[in-house]
Amino acid sequence: MYSKLKKRQPHSAAWRVSLWATLAFTLGASLVFADLHRFVAKDIQRRSDAWLSGEVQVLSDVAERTPKDRLYRRVVGEVAELASNEVPNRTGDEHEENDAVFFLQADPTGPAKLWVGAGNGKANLEAIRASHATPDVPFHLKVKGFPIPFRVVALQIDDGSYVYLGLSERDELRVLRNLRLRFLSVALWIILLEFSLVFYTTRRMLGHVRRISQVASQIGESDLSQRVPSTPRNDEIGQLAVTLNRMLDRIENSVRQLHTITDSLAHDLRSPLTAIRGKLELSLSTKRQESAESDWKPMIVSAIDELDRLTDILNTSLDLAEARADALRLRRSEIDLDELIRLMMDLYAPSMSERGLNMRLRSSRALMVSADAALLHRVVANLLDNELKHVPAGCTVTICLQAENGSAKLTVEDDGPGFEEELSQELFARRTKGKASTGHGLGLAFVEAVVHAHGGSVSACNRREGGACLTITLPLSPATQQAAAPEVNSGAIA
Amino acid sequence: MKLLLVEDELEIQDFLKPSLADAGYEVDVANDGQAAEKLASAHVYDALIVDLGLPDQDGIDLILRLRKIGVASPVLILSARRSVDDRVAGLELGGDDYLTKPFALAELLARLRNLLKRNIAVSAGPTMLRVGDLELDLLRRRASRAGDLLNLSPQEFGLLEYLCRHAGRVVTRSMLLAEVWGMRIQPDTNVVDVHIYRLRGKVDSEGRVPLIKTLRGVGYVLETQEAATA
Repeated sequence: MYSKLKKRQPHSAAWRVSLWATLAFTLGASLVFADLHRFVAKDIQRRSDAWLSGEVQVLSDVAERTPKDRLYRRVVGEVAELASNEVPNRTGDEHEENDAVFFLQADPTGPAKLWVGAGNGKANLEAIRASHATPDVPFHLKVKGFPIPFRVVALQIDDGSYVYLGLSERDELRVLRNLRLRFLSVALWIILLEFSLVFYTTRRMLGHVRRISQVASQIGESDLSQRVPSTPRNDEIGQLAVTLNRMLDRIENSVRQLHTITDSLAHDLRSPLTAIRGKLELSLSTKRQESAESDWKPMIVSAIDELDRLTDILNTSLDLAEARADALRLRRSEIDLDELIRLMMDLYAPSMSERGLNMRLRSSRALMVSADAALLHRVVANLLDNELKHVPAGCTVTICLQAENGSAKLTVEDDGPGFEEELSQELFARRTKGKASTGHGLGLAFVEAVVHAHGGSVSACNRREGGACLTITLPLSPATQQAAAPEVNSGAIA
Repeated sequence: MKLLLVEDELEIQDFLKPSLADAGYEVDVANDGQAAEKLASAHVYDALIVDLGLPDQDGIDLILRLRKIGVASPVLILSARRSVDDRVAGLELGGDDYLTKPFALAELLARLRNLLKRNIAVSAGPTMLRVGDLELDLLRRRASRAGDLLNLSPQEFGLLEYLCRHAGRVVTRSMLLAEVWGMRIQPDTNVVDVHIYRLRGKVDSEGRVPLIKTLRGVGYVLETQEAATA
């Protein structure tokens, strides 16, 4: 089934496309040729009609002027013979007997007075009388015994009889037949060429598609790192490959995040679970059971604490995984960062002063960003939690908020010991934490993921004068970008 | 007090039923939505505890259907989903409550008490709140205890106001963060506790009966004076 699909589908599409294209081409070419054919036929007839009219005039003059004696038949006959040698559209003279032209003089009734042409002219006269044509207008005449019709013009002369000059349409028909034959042979080649050209290009194009679908069908069976082949051209198929590859990038990222989260969750949960199990087992042991309640109760309490921590790790890990896999549902609204920071500082001020830390804010004016308020609250809370946990008493935490190149730049810096040297490379990676840290090491990773989801960036460094410095930039809302340049005024909260 | 517990997981049933019985409630258990509907239409319950992940239907649909057939008792929703989805948020407004698994038993009991007590008012007049000898003047943003003016910051006043409005009921840290500061965060430091310690230092100063109690692993409760002295 699979191989059949793989083999048949693209081919049949190429056949189909080529057949339709050829059909359309043939139809178009035939229409054009039919028009051309009609035009040529008309033109040839116009020319032979002009010749007929001229010659019949000459012949009728001769017939009028020549005395009706014994010589009359010879004179007029020779003039008619002569004229027949100058017929238009003549291509070759393969017929010895001149049957292309006839001359006939006859009264409205009775036998022919004069006949020049092939045969005895009786059939011609009968056909002319049967056709009731008006004089002086060329008309079409089919004569019994002649496979090819004549073009005939009639003129009445002084003695009341009519002269008829007929020209066989043989040469005219031959020209047209040649034209058709030539068109057919040339068109056949052109159509063949067109068909093979369309077939070749379509197959080549569909070949790209087939290769893309082949690779795509392998992806996921073995691994997600494969990418569909891309063409150097920037056409629809090239774009299809690029789009597919971008989609694969996103899927691979999501799956990798999922793997990371399951791996690290298993790792993270193992030791707290072991601890809980151990503590509960210990409290069950007979030796302890006999002892006082105050002996085993703290163990159960600490097991419960451990479980709370476990729940916390689980929730934060899932949040982080969501954020990293671009699955965060951002509920954006217009938020004043300045107001948000002041609110957070109000919340953290008592804890900071309890820990012996000073907290200062340098912010000049309202800075509007379009962001998810709940997530931004958590980002700032994570940063301040970090300071609370890692900066020793007596230090100062300075928070700076300013507009820079269309972004809001939030800096949290302290004059503490700074980041440990070996951590600074992977500060935002999951599970990175200082040796003395009691946290779960997910805080800054979450900060980074959320800020990225908002289109911002995060960076961290140690200040030259000592202490850590963490910088977040978030794109400003258009409204703030147009606002006037900031005036600096700084406030301090201790 | 009679409760209906709608929960299909036996492990949860096994510890919830005796704990609720210990706390003095009479408990009926339904294993699925159908049984719950039958029980709820036959008996009158003071409150319902409903797990969202039932084997035969979604818990929210069950609650909506119970409401339709006239069951007006408050509902405590249990869920393993982390984020509160919009439909649950809508129910919360209707006077019901929401608890995510895993939960502390103490918190479940506290919230249950809150649900059952919801209609007991503690305010005295539209601009004054009174809990025992604690008085809050909401217009002038001033608080006093036994006639002595308390020197509170605006933030501390807001915190105390929230505790007073929920006097006798347990409030958790996340409730305080959401209602007083307006943010849904879970700081892994004790920022809320420090605020409470400071407030307690002013409200329950030396020689006074302590009003603000800490419930380990759950949150805080502002006791009415009678309960506090008891």
